[in-house]
Amino acid sequence: CFSAENTDVSQPRLSVAVVGAGPSGFYTSKYLTSAVLHRIEKANDRNDKRDEGDAPALAPFDWSGIDIDILERLPTPYGLVRYGVAPDHPEVKNVEHDFAAQFETSNNNPSSSLSFFGGVEVGKDVKLSALQSMYDVVVLAYGCQAADRRLNIPGEDLEGVLSAREFVAWYNGHPEFGHIGTIVKECLWGSSDICDVDDDQVSTAKVVVVGQGNVALDVARILAKGKRGLIETDTPSSVLEILKGGASHVSILGRRGHVQGAFTIKGDSHRTMLRAKELRELTKLNKEGHNAKLIIRRGELELGMNDSSVAELKGASGRPKTRIDILLRDSAVSETDNPKDEAPKTVCLRFLLSPTSIEAKDSDGGRVGGVVCERTRLEGGPFKQNSVSTGEIETLPADLVLTSIGYKGMPLEGMKGRDQFDHQQSVVNNLHGKVTGDNNLFASGWIKRGPSGIIGTNIMDAKDTVKSIMMFIEENGRVRDEKDGRRGLEKYLEAHETVPIRWENFQAIEVAETDPARLRNDAQPREKILQITEMESIAGILKQ
Amino acid sequence: MGRSFASSLNTQGARRSFAQETVSFTYIDPTGEEFPVEAEGGKHLLDVAHDNNIELEGACGGELACSTCHLVFEEKIYDKLPPMSEEEEDMLDLAFELTDTSRLGCQIQVTKDLEGMTVRIPDDGY
Ligand SMILES: Cc1cc2nc3c(=O)[nH]c(=O)nc-3n(C[C@H](O)[C@H](O)[C@H](O)COP(=O)(O)OP(=O)(O)OC[C@H]3O[C@@H](n4cnc5c(N)ncnc54)[C@H](O)[C@@H]3O)c2cc1C
Ligand code: FES
Repeated sequence: CFSAENTDVSQPRLSVAVVGAGPSGFYTSKYLTSAVLHRIEKANDRNDKRDEGDAPALAPFDWSGIDIDILERLPTPYGLVRYGVAPDHPEVKNVEHDFAAQFETSNNNPSSSLSFFGGVEVGKDVKLSALQSMYDVVVLAYGCQAADRRLNIPGEDLEGVLSAREFVAWYNGHPEFGHIGTIVKECLWGSSDICDVDDDQVSTAKVVVVGQGNVALDVARILAKGKRGLIETDTPSSVLEILKGGASHVSILGRRGHVQGAFTIKGDSHRTMLRAKELRELTKLNKEGHNAKLIIRRGELELGMNDSSVAELKGASGRPKTRIDILLRDSAVSETDNPKDEAPKTVCLRFLLSPTSIEAKDSDGGRVGGVVCERTRLEGGPFKQNSVSTGEIETLPADLVLTSIGYKGMPLEGMKGRDQFDHQQSVVNNLHGKVTGDNNLFASGWIKRGPSGIIGTNIMDAKDTVKSIMMFIEENGRVRDEKDGRRGLEKYLEAHETVPIRWENFQAIEVAETDPARLRNDAQPREKILQITEMESIAGILKQ
Repeated sequence: MGRSFASSLNTQGARRSFAQETVSFTYIDPTGEEFPVEAEGGKHLLDVAHDNNIELEGACGGELACSTCHLVFEEKIYDKLPPMSEEEEDMLDLAFELTDTSRLGCQIQVTKDLEGMTVRIPDDGY
């Protein structure tokens, strides 16, 4: 345990600000706390041992504890776990319990503390430079939710073309994406009054999803399931009112073949990848009673299976791809089959189609009408295949287009131009999480490595950053002025009339969201509050 | 092959036959530190790690939705484990530092087959 020396007032506690309360913010806090506590323990061991006369060589440690403040622009924590992960994957969202428990674990130890400052946007409510002068260490963990990678093809700005990011944020009840519902409603139901549409009615609108990563498969699945299929999830009721019976035609387009779709290429963090987990769920939609059938064209699988692709499936590294190949073949149909007879809804997974432009509807110049694609062909040796155009054109009719080719990181307001942000990769310039230049800035998660990987990927990423932070504080010791840390931030916010949502305030929001009186049925985990002002009033925050 | 008869019998009968018995084995963490444990039959290796304060993540709480509970087994033990479900295989594909003897800790129950084994928490490089 910790002896009295630890709480020696002459030894200050390390103060850390973490920007962003997503998985990377929480994992960095967790591993940094444990690294610092471990280091203090080791320093104590050394002191104890020295009394006995054998001192192992270990430099003294300047800190007696650690205080971490997580700053989050929204009133609610958990980042994409709350506003990205699909609502029909509640087991993935279980990690929220883990993150919440960190407040208890950390605050139960006299040598550490964790605190939440929701509704505080760094760059706006508090300047990054101010934060850097208040804290010993600042960790940027603000993710890539502010922008999209673009296709850069004509017609991308037509009405009815949305990014999957916007669509996902809307169906998850993100407070800033309510307006997306109006657009989706128009695309799915035209000018019909939504109240006149039956709950189980399937929209005949055609939806084209561009990209084949897990996010693309998530949005297709949500559109196929519709209200009935999501009634027991935390999808907001207002979203279900628009989805109704779901969409009858969803196509998911990939530029490459199905074998290449199952690769991630090192260094290309933007590459979206076909994953067995989400794919298998699509194959099961009909069996599980969602009245939606996955359609894969046998001809397109064959097209992608040249000698190079066959070679790519070999060996141990080919195992996951072989499993995807088999899964797809088992579900594939030939062009002459007529699967339409079997289910009112279809989800088509298409390969080797590259969108070249998005067309407007004839009748209405501003609205989307179709996606023009070129058929592609694979060229090159194994693992080096490129998709090249064959000149053949196919136009897919579309009432709603969702582009799903990647989220995009943006610099924080006040960041030092090109030095601190890599505009090419759209990530913070860093080496193992240490932001380039002479500063106390670090980065972790998506904004450090780009928008890829699963929640677990942020664990090792956080450990990498923590290692750099530990090196930094060991090297620098206490050379800098003593920092005000949490007290400083509280004073700053007060002076700037920003009232933060603290952890107990957020808990009040959680209680309200899970109040049985708000829920559609016993199984619904929560009915999210969609307005920031309502969250603030429930939290008891009064804003002037 | 070796995974078939004896081991599937063990998992099915696990709760009953091993409820009172304990099995001893050792976790090795990424730094190489060894953690010997005594575990109750039928418990999952993720829970055993947590009961013993061994740092093994379990982000989804054992619901087969995260792959953070990834463990690496000795080959002879791996061969005795009950076969993987499709869902476990799908999740395992996404695990970091995947090996030929990798499994998910929330899916493996303690049986007599594990007596004396060492099981590794994969080294993520840090
Ligand atoms: C649609 C979708 C579905 C996914 N599904 C899964 C899944 O099923 N399983 C899985 O394992 N992984 C999934 N992932 C991946 C997972 O969500 C990410 O790996 C993870 O969320 C990245 O964590 P992060 O903390 O870097 O970013 P984020 O989760 O984006 O967190 C960043 C946080 O910072 C906040 N922030 C932004 N700017 C500021 C600012 N200026 N000041 C203060 N705070 C700020 C944001 O509001 C946000 O809360 C999914 C991702 C997406 C996009
Ligand atoms: S704990 Fe999530 S898969 Fe095992």
